[in-house]
Amino acid sequence: MTLSARDLSVRFGGLQALAEVSLEVTPGRILGLIGPNGAGKTTLFNCLTGVIQPKGTVVVDGVEITQLRTDERVRRGISRTFQTPRLDMNRTVLDAVMLGYTPHLAQGRLACFLGLPSVGRSEEHLRNGAIEKIRLLGLGGAAEDRAGSLSLGQLRLLEVARALVAGPRYLLLDEPAAGLDESDRIRLADAIKNAAASGIGIVLIEHNVGFVSRLSHELLALVNGTVVARGEPNSVVCSEKVVEAYLGPAYVH
Amino acid sequence: MTRSVRLSRISPVLIILGIAITLAIAGEVRPSIYATSVTIGFFSLLALPLGLLYGQGGAISLAQGGFAAVGAFTTAILTVKFGWSPFASLVVSVGLPAILAFVIARPLLRLPELSLALVTISLVMIFKVVFERAERLTGGYNGITGIAPLPIIGVERSYAHWTVWTAVLIVAYCYASYVESGRGRALNAIRVDRLLAESTGTNVALELSSLFSLSAGIAGFAGWFYAHYIGFMAPDSLDPTLSANILFMVVLGGRKSVLGPIVGASLFTLASDLLPGTVTQGMIFGSLLIVILVFFPDGIVSPGMMRWTRRRATTIPEAKNTPGVRLERA
Repeated sequence: MTLSARDLSVRFGGLQALAEVSLEVTPGRILGLIGPNGAGKTTLFNCLTGVIQPKGTVVVDGVEITQLRTDERVRRGISRTFQTPRLDMNRTVLDAVMLGYTPHLAQGRLACFLGLPSVGRSEEHLRNGAIEKIRLLGLGGAAEDRAGSLSLGQLRLLEVARALVAGPRYLLLDEPAAGLDESDRIRLADAIKNAAASGIGIVLIEHNVGFVSRLSHELLALVNGTVVARGEPNSVVCSEKVVEAYLGPAYVH
Repeated sequence: MTRSVRLSRISPVLIILGIAITLAIAGEVRPSIYATSVTIGFFSLLALPLGLLYGQGGAISLAQGGFAAVGAFTTAILTVKFGWSPFASLVVSVGLPAILAFVIARPLLRLPELSLALVTISLVMIFKVVFERAERLTGGYNGITGIAPLPIIGVERSYAHWTVWTAVLIVAYCYASYVESGRGRALNAIRVDRLLAESTGTNVALELSSLFSLSAGIAGFAGWFYAHYIGFMAPDSLDPTLSANILFMVVLGGRKSVLGPIVGASLFTLASDLLPGTVTQGMIFGSLLIVILVFFPDGIVSPGMMRWTRRRATTIPEAKNTPGVRLERA
């Protein structure tokens, strides 16, 4: 039971965005992904979710999924959030979160067209589940508001809620804590920890090194598309290459 | 499901029923109005599914008139040349455009909006050339005459009125129900952002192909009805201009709401009847479209107008039993 990527390589024209990157995350574990801007962190997520086709292989729970479309991977339990939130700003927060249920929708097309009562019951059920997740992330008061009225930080929380309602086995979070205030950050950290405790394997991209090293069981540092350090959070954070990449060569001693 | 959710789905259907009844009453007073109401119903049948595909799913199509022509020629050929009953040919008139649409949808629907518009209008042009050249079957430029009226309905205008408007009501109800469901939510996500839809588990290609196919099937039904109602079908009867006009009705009336395409079809038909000369019409329609879209980007009927319904539809459980909701007893 793992989500593993082996030797992923991506080239954008002359730029080597990823060079033979491998990673592995098991259920219940949190893998932190750090690296300066342009290091290839989001590209790695795009490879794992099938948005771009890399060289190399992606395997989930023993099944190779390298050739699968994005939506098929979601149905196999890989959900993600985006660095720049993607959602319909004109819909309510609740609606936006309920979109996360799509892969496991029990509503048949015909039933939806006919407006059968079963569709209504299913929606009611999903609505309650979504509200629970919205509350968990501290957006309870805004459930009925237009998504467009939320701050950028809150939109990221909304995306976490949307990814969670999909019932994923692996969750890819792209800078979910950026732009959050302290109380929201604590709430997010709790939600991530709880998700991991419930058996979800998590990959977390984060620039705040303190936040990510406290949460993660393991860290992986990317610089220019290459893995420069991996392992126990404290050792990775202190490794020469990571310090150099973040702060510049002058700080390496 | 809360009552209000059901209401937000039923209210457009009730409004359409109101329109149909009003037109019928007017038709009884002045029979020529029936001709107008059947035309409005026919256009609405073509415009409604396009509203769902374009307004909700974001995939533009200029092929609705072409698929209607396929349905119309299918029944004309089968009933006149091969002696089929109109009800047997109905299956083929609906099925053929639907299957055709499904097969060609996959490569097409990946295209960006403008390319898709151009490709679908080219498709209609191709249909037209085929109809003109396949003389043995379609009668070429002269078309096919003597298509028998439908049994029961016959040439009675009020029956024709109720047949087409019943179909409009059913399609509108299905449209409204679909939009309220979880699948409607996924469809909306496709329009807003395809990557978002894919990343939340929607098979975008399958979803759009199915809807494209369904739109074509409904257009085929409308064409079937048209052929038997008019009794004559030629390549010029349902030509590429119609496809363009259908899109015009959807955009003008409001592409994001159930009522929009019907309002668009009504205005278009009334204007065509009342305004003199095609050249003047084009000028007036063009100006009208520009003015309306500048002031109302979403068309005449926009979802914002229905916001009060929408808000009620997503009431969270705690607030569910709030008293004093006017709509509850409607």
